Amino acid sequence: MEPGGDEALLRSVAAGDAVALSRLYERHARGLFGYLHRLAGDRMTAEEILQDTMLAVWRSAGAFEGRAKATTWLFGVARRQAHNRLRGRSAPEPAVPDLAERPDQGAGPEELAIAAAGGTPVAAAIDRLPEHHRDVIALVFVAGLPLADVAEVLAIPVGTVKSRLHHARAAVAAALTAQEVPE
Amino acid sequence: MKDLLPGYAAGSLPEADRQRVHAHLPGCPRCRAELATWQALAVPDTAPPPDPAALVRAVLTRSALAPQATSPPRRLRHLAGLMIAEARLIRIAVPIASALVMALGVALGLAQATAGADLVLALVAPIVAAAGIAGTYRFGHDPAGEVVAATPTSGRLLLLVRIALVFGYDLVLALTASVILAAAGAVGAASLLTLVTAWLGPMALLSSVSLLIAVRFGPDIALGAAVTMWAVRVLIGGVLVRDGWAARLVVDAWTTNAPVLTISAALTIAAFVVAGREPPDGRHATHRM
Repeated sequence: MEPGGDEALLRSVAAGDAVALSRLYERHARGLFGYLHRLAGDRMTAEEILQDTMLAVWRSAGAFEGRAKATTWLFGVARRQAHNRLRGRSAPEPAVPDLAERPDQGAGPEELAIAAAGGTPVAAAIDRLPEHHRDVIALVFVAGLPLADVAEVLAIPVGTVKSRLHHARAAVAAALTAQEVPE
Repeated sequence: MKDLLPGYAAGSLPEADRQRVHAHLPGCPRCRAELATWQALAVPDTAPPPDPAALVRAVLTRSALAPQATSPPRRLRHLAGLMIAEARLIRIAVPIASALVMALGVALGLAQATAGADLVLALVAPIVAAAGIAGTYRFGHDPAGEVVAATPTSGRLLLLVRIALVFGYDLVLALTASVILAAAGAVGAASLLTLVTAWLGPMALLSSVSLLIAVRFGPDIALGAAVTMWAVRVLIGGVLVRDGWAARLVVDAWTTNAPVLTISAALTIAAFVVAGREPPDGRHATHRM
């Protein structure tokens, strides 16, 4: 355990060191917030879950046993908090049931969905993926975790992480093709 | 190589792997094409994360204000906490008076002033315990009544804790007195067991009756009833010895045996059932949980 590492910071947090909590957050703020932002869909909810997450870290850092990496533990906490808060909420309803089957009709609900999802067609296509696929995408591409760590956070085999990634890529590619064909 | 492409697009590969992919790409159109699709997925999240100082401040505030709901209540510690809290509510005069009366009984037994030690203890221990019990349930003018009404802890549990405290204390007192008398070889104290048998049954019965009356009618009436009942028992058994079925019945009722202990237990349960109901004046500060 190197002195300035995440594990050492978590030990200090467990001992009640608020400065260590702040440093730990600064180190992972971009990844954690990006991940939660992607899961929650809006900034306000993401900030709430981020607060829940850091509160849970503050309270249960003592439960970190060092068996997992600090990063995967942190993202595991974030994922659990996101699940707790988003569970009651209905999943973001896709405005269009199946993109591939619809011809383009100008400024239809699809464009609205794309605009709502941050403007890019890719983001809209990602938002339409099932939740466990979005989770993988967010951990790999937004949080920037190595695949092995993603597998650990989600408690699934690395092979499953890869297959979900490929599925997500295929779905997004299909969505983009459908988008471009009429034009 | 294909397995490395998502990580390469995400920028999360270890340096060695990154360089391998970097060297491989120029000569492999298929991998370049696949990488392009991964890069399309890797939309960075551009929203800036919240300010660290503000976030940590919010977290610490919430930590201080909000109760920790994540950890399940530790039952034993909770019970111990209840015991300590309730012990503080018992007026200090009650245990002191109980101890003094019991000490007086021991002194009488040792001095053989009146009768055998077993008789003295049998007369003293039950009324001490019953008087203590009578004072435990005072919802009308309980010093903690308002707080009790507002706590999520049920009134029954609080009553149980108090009874356990008071009765346990009196039990220890009576046992100590018995041990002292037995060790000193006082008259009538043939063995520790005889001494305990002399007071245990009556103590349980009188206390349970006292509790039931206290719960239903209040502590003053309970105390009065306990004293009256016990006076009848003392007069019939010790002073106004009369032969007859009524006298025998009364003496039999105040001995240590299975039926008496069973009845005591039943009366105690009845008291808890009554105590669980809404208090007559409906003094609940909050809705029932």
